Amino acid sequence: MTWTLYALLVVPLVAVLATLVDGWRLARVVTLLSGVICFGLAVAIAITVEHGRVLDTAAGWMRVDSLGAVFLLATGLLYAIAGIFSVGYLGVDQVHAGFPKFARRYFVYLNLFGWTMLLVPIAADFGTLWVAVELTTIVSALLVAIDRTDAALEASWKYILIASSGLGIALLSIIIMYATGTHVLGPEYIPRFARFLNHAHGLSKEAVALAFVLSVVGFGTKAGFVPMHTWLPDAHSEAPAPVSAMLSGSLLAAAFYAILRFYQVAVATGQRSFAEHVLIVFGVISLVLASFSVIRQGNYKRLLAYSSIEHMGIIALGIGFGAPLAVAGALLHVITHASAKGLAFFGAGSLLRGYDTKEVEEVTDAGRAMPFTGPMFMAAALALSGLPLSGVFRSEFEIVAGGFSRPQYVGVSLLLIFVNVAFFGIIWHAGRMVLGQSESAPDGSAAVIAHERSGWMIAGMAGCLIVSVALGVHLPGDLSALLTSAAHRLTAP
Amino acid sequence: VPTLPDWAIQVLQVLTILALAPLITGIIARAEAIIQQRRGPRVLQPYYDILKLLRKETVLPAPAGPIFRAAPYVAFAGYAAIPLLIPVLTTFGLPLGYMADFFGVGLIFALTSFIVSLAAVDSGSPYAQLGSSRLRSFGAFNEPTVIFVTFVLALTSHTDLPYAFGATIRSTAVEVFRPSHLLMIAAFFMLVLNETGRIPIENHGSTLEFGQIEEGRIAEHSGPGLAFLRWGSSIKQLLFYTIFMNVLVVPWGMANDGHLDAVALAIVILFGKALVVGAAVVVIESSFAKLRLYKIPEFTVASFMFAVLAVVIFLFEPAFGDQRLTLFGAIATIAAVLVLLLEFGMLRSQDVWEQLRLYALGSSVVAALAVGTAATGHGSSELYILAAATIALKALLFPIGIRFVLRRLEAEPRVPSVIGVASGILLAIILCSVSFVVLRPVHIGAEAALPLSALPVAVGGVLVAFLLMVLRPHAPSQLLGFLVLENAVSVASLVIAPGLPIILALLLLFDVLVGVLVFVVLVQYLAVERTAVRTDVLNRLTG
Repeated sequence: MTWTLYALLVVPLVAVLATLVDGWRLARVVTLLSGVICFGLAVAIAITVEHGRVLDTAAGWMRVDSLGAVFLLATGLLYAIAGIFSVGYLGVDQVHAGFPKFARRYFVYLNLFGWTMLLVPIAADFGTLWVAVELTTIVSALLVAIDRTDAALEASWKYILIASSGLGIALLSIIIMYATGTHVLGPEYIPRFARFLNHAHGLSKEAVALAFVLSVVGFGTKAGFVPMHTWLPDAHSEAPAPVSAMLSGSLLAAAFYAILRFYQVAVATGQRSFAEHVLIVFGVISLVLASFSVIRQGNYKRLLAYSSIEHMGIIALGIGFGAPLAVAGALLHVITHASAKGLAFFGAGSLLRGYDTKEVEEVTDAGRAMPFTGPMFMAAALALSGLPLSGVFRSEFEIVAGGFSRPQYVGVSLLLIFVNVAFFGIIWHAGRMVLGQSESAPDGSAAVIAHERSGWMIAGMAGCLIVSVALGVHLPGDLSALLTSAAHRLTAP
Repeated sequence: VPTLPDWAIQVLQVLTILALAPLITGIIARAEAIIQQRRGPRVLQPYYDILKLLRKETVLPAPAGPIFRAAPYVAFAGYAAIPLLIPVLTTFGLPLGYMADFFGVGLIFALTSFIVSLAAVDSGSPYAQLGSSRLRSFGAFNEPTVIFVTFVLALTSHTDLPYAFGATIRSTAVEVFRPSHLLMIAAFFMLVLNETGRIPIENHGSTLEFGQIEEGRIAEHSGPGLAFLRWGSSIKQLLFYTIFMNVLVVPWGMANDGHLDAVALAIVILFGKALVVGAAVVVIESSFAKLRLYKIPEFTVASFMFAVLAVVIFLFEPAFGDQRLTLFGAIATIAAVLVLLLEFGMLRSQDVWEQLRLYALGSSVVAALAVGTAATGHGSSELYILAAATIALKALLFPIGIRFVLRRLEAEPRVPSVIGVASGILLAIILCSVSFVVLRPVHIGAEAALPLSALPVAVGGVLVAFLLMVLRPHAPSQLLGFLVLENAVSVASLVIAPGLPIILALLLLFDVLVGVLVFVVLVQYLAVERTAVRTDVLNRLTG
């Protein structure tokens, strides 16, 4: 089964090459295929490793265990659906001059972006992990700036500067981890995760704790933890919608995955309660600030961006609660959030194409004007708020139940309160957009009437909706086994 | 070989200083002239000047009283007394050597300066009084600097006698390479520049200039009085060089006993040491411009701040593993402190060209550290490649490229800070102290092999880089802040994880690549909004 890892490395790159040949007709097919194949590969890998097996190849440089597979699934899912959605999203622009060039750039970057994010869970050591995360920054910054508007360039500049500085801190944490490892592993070694876990007894506790905190600050900058989150709403709102979906669902998760690798080592060296507290603190701060910010947003893409921060806070809390059920719930939340947030951003992209505005105020009666997008956007809002039938409900329920069993009453209470605050904000805004009646303009003529622009976009949204609801209705046995195994790796390495 | 009695060596110490001082001044003046493409005065010119002035008559200004007449001789006597108290030629204390401690020496310096200032007032000349009042106000921070420098020395050696300082450092040479000691040396060197009236404080060569301080102060003196003042100021300079080298930096190369040959050798070595400091002064005088008058306090405050930081760092420094001095440890600590000091320079600077130069210099230090790490056998030979890439990219390509782009866009080179420079530096010093306090309880685990106190310095560098990014709302400055941050992280990695194999080299090179790409985005951005190099206009996306 190790060939699947090589295939994951090769397929998106082949897609990049093909895209260079033809920027639109060939590119859309190839991107779509590449995404679907990668998702298929991710599922295959997940099934292979679900009972604790480890895929290990290329002389140990590539390695996937159940923890990595969870993140592969989230990335693969969004990569595939973003491919489908992009066909419709870009197709609207087809009439513009310079479209072929733009489309080529877009698809090259999109496939590269998918590739770099698939690289993150495959890395077997801290060095490669850092390189992969840094690569995602570069490629996604180019994607954020792709519209070349002032706002897009500003967002991109902010993003690359803040995220790269954060990753500088993350590099420092890796260096400290490496330095403490020299004590037991000799002066020169490759900083593989497994070696740290096997030799955890010889690592200095203070150094590991320091490295963990620095990694939470450093990688947390990319994962969107408050107060390092300032780049996030800008980048998410200025990027093209499919890219926003990938940023929110996969990129933040990929950065969080890097933190989890440090968390594993911290747990193995007996710094578990310290590490949990750090995550709970960052989780609560992110949750509180993001849920209030959701309420006061006037731009629906920024609103969704703040909702991403909120959900990263929930995931951090789930890991921080430490109970196996909560940890499994947090990992499931990575996937359910990816599907629900993907749906929301795709819906937002479709609304943007229909109404040509990002302002909540200017979108009304979407339910009637866009009969597929409107209801599905509403469904996304409900799913993100964690209503039953959605996967998010299941994962949040597991986190809360796990938190009560630990017991972490303060954290759980805060979680419940602020999830409701965010629920109010999202439903209020989305409700006005989808259900609000359009007022006629003062001169009596009807307001802008939007309409559905592309079936591809609807197909993309439908894909996300199906996954989201399916996970809420019934959790497949394979996925459940995978999550249990991954949670076991985090809580008792 | 005859052995000199102690009293004879004591006399010889004074005579050496008195005789060598004008020569050092002459050599520095000549070297500067040559660098500036002039022939310059003869090396012995200061002696001729003194002899000439001694033969001339004294012209007194009308209001001048006895203080004016006595001042040159009192000052000269003060300068001539100081060589009795400091280690000039010997490592062991001479009969009068314990007569006064470091503060005593400082007090005599203060007395000489005070009497000359008094004479300037006595002369009634507004020009001389201006020089004297300038010296008083700019020198206000010199005394606290001396006090804090003494604190560092006293904390190390538990006494404040100059001879004892040197002896402590000689007994554990590793002391010299503690970050606190290096910072203290930096603070004291700035003090030396200040006290000896060198650039960036004062332009020594010119005769009529509004920025004059020391030269203006003695403008009314003439004849033998002026001769003694001139001689005195060159003695003061040599004394500062001697204290700097023989007490703080390299307290080696002095006679251990009274043998004539050992003492003679010590004189030669002292001359060599003074020339080394002189060379540094020549380099600084030829590459920097004089500060505007109202900027001088920033310089003196900075030197004071370094001394304060040195004391704070001393208190929180991680204990040295087994007090072994390794070449690698020395190189690592010096490089880390240099990179940090260059960051302070960037924080102070308001000129983007100067910031670029300082960044290039910092990158060269990082490259040198990589070479040093590999050469001392602490890392693989791939570090040489890393060093070459660092030089090529970070010391040459980036600064030149950024310069090129900014020139092409006709960007404003001044980059004003959000808050005052002095407050910025104070914040930076607080951040450095925080880094030391936070990292103090951290034990990496391989203490014995690694120069650990370089780690907090490097982490401090990271924090200061963040400060640089926050305080300058300009795209080029923010980019430089990011690049400096990357330099500081490189230092940290080379210092505490020198064995990190190929993958680290890969990571660091990769980091450099990110720098390039950040730059590409910047160029894109600048190309769209040519005028908006400031990033505080980037405020559309908020909330």
